[in-house]
Amino acid sequence: MTRPVLGELAVLDDVGPPRRGRAYPAAGATSALLLPALLLLGGLVAWPVLRTLHASVFTDGRWVGAAHFRAAFAAPGTAAVVGRTVLWALVVPAVVTVLGYLLAAASRRSQEGGLVRLILVVPTALPLVVTGVTFRLLYDPDPQRGLATLLLARLTGRSADQVPQLLGPGLVTVALMSAFVWAWVGLAVLVFRAALDAVPPSLADAVRAFGGSRRDVLWDAQWRPLLLRTVAVVFALVALGTSRTFDLILVMTPGSVRDEASVLALRVWQTSGGTTTGEGAALGVIWLVAVVAGMLVAALFVRQSWPPPRDPAPAEPDPAAAPPRRSIRLLAAGAALAWLVPLGVLLATSLHKPVDAAARAWWSSAPSLDSYRQLASGPELWRTLGFTLVLATVVTAAVLGIALLAAYPLAWLTGPPAQATGLLLMAASVVPVQVIAGPVNEVLGVVLSSGTARGLGLVHVALGIPFAVLVLRNAFADLPAEQVRAVRLGGRHWWSTLRLLARHNRPAVVAVAVLEFVQVWNDLVVGLLFSGPGAAPLGLFLAGQTRGFVVNSGVLAAGSVVASILPVLLVVLARRQLVAGLVAGGVR
Amino acid sequence: MRLRRRTLLRAAAAAGTATAVTSCSRNERSVQVAVVWSGAELARFREVVAGYGAPVRVVSAGNDIDAFLRARHLAGTSPDVAILPRSGLVVEYARRGWLRELTPAASYAVPPGMADLLVTDGRRYGVWVKAAHKSLFWYFDSMLSEPPATWDQLVAITRRLGARARAGTAPAPLAIGAADGWVLTDWFENVLADIAAPDFYEALARGEADWRSRSVRVALDRLAELWSIDGAFPGGARRALLTQYEESVIQVVHHRRATMVFEGDFVGDVSARFQRGAEQPVTFRFPGSRVADRPLILGGDAAVAFAGSARGAELVGWLSEGSAFQPWLQAGGYLSPNVTVPLASYRDPVRRALAAELQGAESVRFDLSDRLPGPFTGSDGVGIWRIMQDFFADVTGGVRAAEAVRRATNQLAAAARAAGGGR
Repeated sequence: MTRPVLGELAVLDDVGPPRRGRAYPAAGATSALLLPALLLLGGLVAWPVLRTLHASVFTDGRWVGAAHFRAAFAAPGTAAVVGRTVLWALVVPAVVTVLGYLLAAASRRSQEGGLVRLILVVPTALPLVVTGVTFRLLYDPDPQRGLATLLLARLTGRSADQVPQLLGPGLVTVALMSAFVWAWVGLAVLVFRAALDAVPPSLADAVRAFGGSRRDVLWDAQWRPLLLRTVAVVFALVALGTSRTFDLILVMTPGSVRDEASVLALRVWQTSGGTTTGEGAALGVIWLVAVVAGMLVAALFVRQSWPPPRDPAPAEPDPAAAPPRRSIRLLAAGAALAWLVPLGVLLATSLHKPVDAAARAWWSSAPSLDSYRQLASGPELWRTLGFTLVLATVVTAAVLGIALLAAYPLAWLTGPPAQATGLLLMAASVVPVQVIAGPVNEVLGVVLSSGTARGLGLVHVALGIPFAVLVLRNAFADLPAEQVRAVRLGGRHWWSTLRLLARHNRPAVVAVAVLEFVQVWNDLVVGLLFSGPGAAPLGLFLAGQTRGFVVNSGVLAAGSVVASILPVLLVVLARRQLVAGLVAGGVR
Repeated sequence: MRLRRRTLLRAAAAAGTATAVTSCSRNERSVQVAVVWSGAELARFREVVAGYGAPVRVVSAGNDIDAFLRARHLAGTSPDVAILPRSGLVVEYARRGWLRELTPAASYAVPPGMADLLVTDGRRYGVWVKAAHKSLFWYFDSMLSEPPATWDQLVAITRRLGARARAGTAPAPLAIGAADGWVLTDWFENVLADIAAPDFYEALARGEADWRSRSVRVALDRLAELWSIDGAFPGGARRALLTQYEESVIQVVHHRRATMVFEGDFVGDVSARFQRGAEQPVTFRFPGSRVADRPLILGGDAAVAFAGSARGAELVGWLSEGSAFQPWLQAGGYLSPNVTVPLASYRDPVRRALAAELQGAESVRFDLSDRLPGPFTGSDGVGIWRIMQDFFADVTGGVRAAEAVRRATNQLAAAARAAGGGR
């Protein structure tokens, strides 16, 4: 940074108390920075949403009113599908929130706590396709392959043909939910832990000083000041996350039980595929309205003045605080061990010959690297890894660049305009891509008549921007005015201001970059809907092999392990920045 | 300041290069072919087109090639050629004007009735490039001394072996991959082809006959008779509904937990990977009412060229010559729909026998579910796949056969009505 010129400082100090907006360029110049984000969001999110709304009430340009909606609801099973979707959005977040809080509290301030949390975080980084593969291996109805079926048979004393089938029509939704909870609890633990650490211990001391019981401490010193809002945030995040169950269902359910597991995401895709017309559009509109309404409710629940007041001095961790009781610590350790089991199953399956993995139990045959060898000998793995790496890197760079530009002018808004942009960005970030697939394809056809790898990248960028802008905008706006002014003094142009802003908000920038990279790397649905020749993303490569799940299980498990290494490393290494960046920027 | 500007420019240049890298991966000159195949089959097909005069780029579109092609059409980036797994798609695309009329090579000749499936309004829009024989049972000689010659014998053997399997003294009689709906539709088509008159079968495929007709009911009734036998499937019917096709083959050739498995010639590819010991599995034809005329159901893949692609049409013309597939014939695992291909060019003995059967066949029926319109054609959890799986669950779950048949025919008729309009 160049040293501030003395004269400038004096001039700025001369004009009164520091106020936001004072130190920044005029609105006209910087609003041009919004242009790339606006173009992408307008073309690939807003316009397609309008087209889908249009398609839900028109057929070939003819107004048909609610006919598509009636037809969609008359189709057999639609009521069950909607009911199941709602069940997912209520039950799973509740379980994840409760488990997340308990495990965060149980793993605090103990020696093994860090390791427990580390283990819980690993599944959050896995592609959902890999989670699906893992749990399908675990729940295989054949006791010679499925560990869960074997244990059930042993525990109930019945033959393996008589025990409840975890992937059967009765329990398949429970099985899917368990996989989802496994994958998401780590996130809840991280957020709760950050929240618990932010609660000033002096508050608890004060409550105790007034003769408060243990329960009073929990209620007055933890729940009311902070946890209530954190619970709301976690619940909302997970509830919105359940709209991604699509990947799990596609990978985990055999064809015969797919209907029993179906949710709106799957039904929309089954009805309309890559196009969006008629009934598919109608179902999509219902889904879209539900997701956006849920998002609004969550936003209203956790609303606060914007920009938020600065935190008081960060709470000092209380060195004298005792670790949780022994029994609770054991519980946390037990949970960590249980969380390791599916990972172990995946790894063990991958370490067997393809034929052994398909025909015998991984605990009864000799380990071998043959599955990895077979996987690595074909050209497809390397092509897909290379492609996905380039795609994720380019998309992340593009999202970061465009979002930094857009966040800069947006951060200076205050009052209702700021709230409105916040809500719009949140709404845009929760639009399910299946709902707008058809119109997005049309737009891609108009802007680039060839090269679907580029199209795929564009869609990823457009879908990633809203959340990135939201996080960065909030982070920028949180900086105290003095700091911004100091930055402003360092250079005359908006880009140097922006650069320095980014430097001061490193956790938020890292969080956005890591999340976007992992999201693209782990994606299945965008690849499924928009990839073409030359575009062979990893998720699609793995999902394609699940058609003959049992025969491919060895190679599939090996592929899953290979696909998971990079996202797990990134998330584990960046987990502190992730939480800090999100707590500072997005999740508030 | 200058330094900063340069950094920005460098970043912009880097982004530009990256975009260029992704877009350059597409070679503009080669002919693009989208196929459903993957793995070994894809590799074989690449060997085949390596013999074509011009460079050809083969792209695996995965299972859902229909969604893939629709999306590419919307985006205006259709490939030159596609190889479609269902003749219904050829008709559908042709009616929408997406395809180019084709002239096959002079040596192109397929079994009677098959060529017509790719003709719409008197114009030919596709040629068959790969056939599948879908009327075979696979078993080991050492496990079944006398294979059934008629349907009644099959039922009797299943009853006998089923009773022994219940007692735990013998493997179950039948393995079935009921988790894959297409396995069940193949069962149904074989029985239907045996019972119904050819005209009725064809009318059903064209959407002109009623799914509640007597022939359909009788066919389903027959299936109910066999499938409801206690002990018919290893692990029971509930387990069968979670068993995929490949696993059902493994149950016979690897575990020997079942005696017979029904499916097409492609069972041989799975069994080659998983069989234990030296004994090779052998086949018998799907049994019919009489020994003399047993049903023969064919499936197949058809090549089409997209409108406006003359190079695509040339490639399809070349593919229609029987000799084009020589590398795949040599490698095994390929059955040609072209009856002019000399039997001597098959290295794989099972396929050679089937090819002889195909060349001598007077009448063949083509896979019915592949010809049904729209979503009725079936995929996981959808259409006729789903209906047949419900039927399987009903008859093995204690629902009376008459009631199960009534439910299934009503669902079939409703699905046919829903799919009839529009697509």
